Amino acid sequence: MYRIRFHGRGGQGTKTASRMLGTAFFLAGYQVQDAPRYGAERRGAPIFAYVRAAKEAIHERGVIREPNLVVVADDSLVPVPAAGVLQGATARSVMLISSSESAATWRDRLNFPGTVLTLPAEASEQAELCFVGAACTGAAARLLGVIPRAILEAAVREELSALGEDIIRRNLEQALAAFDCMEPHAGSVNEGVAFSVADAKAPDWIDLPVDESDAAAAAIHASATSVEVRTGLWRVLRPVIDYDRCNRCWWVCSEFCPDSAIKVDADGRPEIDYDHCKGCMICVAQCPPHAIAAVPEQEFSEKTP
Amino acid sequence: MSEQTVTIYKRMKDLPSTRLLGAGTPMCAGCGGLQAVHEIYDILGEKTVFVNAAGCMTLLAVYPFTPFRGSWLYTSMASAPAGAQGVRDALDILLAKQRIKQEQDLDVVVLTGDGAAYGMGLSSTSSAIERGLDFIYVCYDNEGYGNTGQQTSAATPHGARTSTSTDARGFGGFKKDLFAIWAAHRPAYVATVIGSEPLDLARKIEKAKAMKGPRLIIALSPCPTGWDFDPMESAEIGHLAVKTGVWPLKEYENGQVTHTKVPSEWLPVEEYLKKQGRFAHLFKPQRNKALISEIQTRVDAYWAEVERA
Ligand SMILES: Cc1ncc(C[n+]2csc(CCOP(=O)(O)OP(=O)(O)O)c2C)c(N)n1
Ligand code: SF4
Ligand SMILES: [Mg+2]
Repeated sequence: MYRIRFHGRGGQGTKTASRMLGTAFFLAGYQVQDAPRYGAERRGAPIFAYVRAAKEAIHERGVIREPNLVVVADDSLVPVPAAGVLQGATARSVMLISSSESAATWRDRLNFPGTVLTLPAEASEQAELCFVGAACTGAAARLLGVIPRAILEAAVREELSALGEDIIRRNLEQALAAFDCMEPHAGSVNEGVAFSVADAKAPDWIDLPVDESDAAAAAIHASATSVEVRTGLWRVLRPVIDYDRCNRCWWVCSEFCPDSAIKVDADGRPEIDYDHCKGCMICVAQCPPHAIAAVPEQEFSEKTP
Repeated sequence: MSEQTVTIYKRMKDLPSTRLLGAGTPMCAGCGGLQAVHEIYDILGEKTVFVNAAGCMTLLAVYPFTPFRGSWLYTSMASAPAGAQGVRDALDILLAKQRIKQEQDLDVVVLTGDGAAYGMGLSSTSSAIERGLDFIYVCYDNEGYGNTGQQTSAATPHGARTSTSTDARGFGGFKKDLFAIWAAHRPAYVATVIGSEPLDLARKIEKAKAMKGPRLIIALSPCPTGWDFDPMESAEIGHLAVKTGVWPLKEYENGQVTHTKVPSEWLPVEEYLKKQGRFAHLFKPQRNKALISEIQTRVDAYWAEVERA
């Protein structure tokens, strides 16, 4: 059985990428499961999607814990522990990262037990972000080695049929270019063995205290518990305030921030809450003296893989 | 804003500087609806209970997480005002039985999208106004069924592409005038607001909060996901909606409609349209002059009517 996990950010077509790969497997005669996994997360949030494919009936359910292939559409997710990109990878796993950096760089950085390959960002250079997914599908299909080029094309067409010929064409270009570009590594992903029930591990439950009550659901007694959710992970750009230029007008950035992520102290000094800032950059666009810069998040995570 | 009104929000610096709505919600980065909701909540305060019809904002409170400091009730799309009636009645009974004190009373706030407000929930809103329900209705209007992938709603503007209006001219129908429909019921208060004009918004919410009876607010909500623009542009698109005259800021009170912010000079509507992917077909591959000027003419006619009145 093949187990493939796609990682990306909401809005990059990760869910569609997994669907296209699932459909390609199906057209190639496999039994398939494919499912995106995201809570209520939206554009920019780390999400993943997975595909299982086998020649016989698939009895496994739930998220993939030991992937044969990990496809990462956005390399800024790799160093983010909560994105879980490296989770469950073994020496037999292949990881494909869409990145402008080389595979060797990633290999050094990651201490990944398996094979690391990159899909050069040039392969999707003219491509806008939303076509990265198609490139990932094409590359994955070639790495698996069991999906012919024509079937890949048919799967892309089938999944995108509602979007019009222009969008289909641009996605196909990306998918097929990536398929061709992975030729040297064709078939490098091996099928995994079936698990037995005995090997199953308990999932990571979140235990919630339940009230003794006759109401249907336990009440939430604290207010604004949403702060427990770290939406700062969604960010690819970080707004950074230059306090020499900030004129303490305060109401602009803090008022316009949709996410209550900019606090101001009594002197009108704004402070950005990076645990929650989603990186919309409205503050950067609206700050009257242009005191807020947009800095790629990677510049902060480089040192801490 | 009428002359007699005394507002504590005279300048931007009078706006609240602390944020009541918790961070960490699942709304998209750059959500103009969330921007308006946090600004409204800052003014309404924590003595509120939100009654939320299905839509993007239902995801605000995904158990056990909530950005609110008080209670929140989830209703079906069409029945948030009916839910609000139940909550109001319960509070009134508790007050009558002296099980809560007057100062423990809460404002009942309906929060829905345009799909619910302009369409599915219009009938239950109409009857709630008829009954004189003491509540505030906040509609964040992202001009489509956003949570399910931006299908056309009764609030979708003419010419916009949505996931159900995909042909070369976009949506062929016209945005329903919900402000006029609500005002025709003669409720206590109706106003349009937008998050990018926080002072105008604050004054209107302050005013609504001080009143009794049905008070209804429509917040135009630039939606990066459904309108297809860079989240960074969200507030700028809000500004342009006002400066081009596409989104008139106004209020209804005592049978009178007053425009609260009338720019001295209008920008052409295309300044607003061209920033949004949902209108890209008006500019590419060729400029659709006829459709752009049709939209402009309709906006001009609206303001000509305002001037005449
Ligand atoms: C009666 C009914 N029909 C359909 C749905 C599915 N649904 C959930 S949210 C939603 C979109 C609501 O649109 P809107 O009120 O504009 O809010 P938005 O999602 O844009 O925030 C729909 C159609 C539903 N919950 N109930
Ligand atoms: S789809 Fe639009 S309205 Fe809904 S959360 Fe996203 S930006 Fe806000
Ligand atoms: Mg809507």
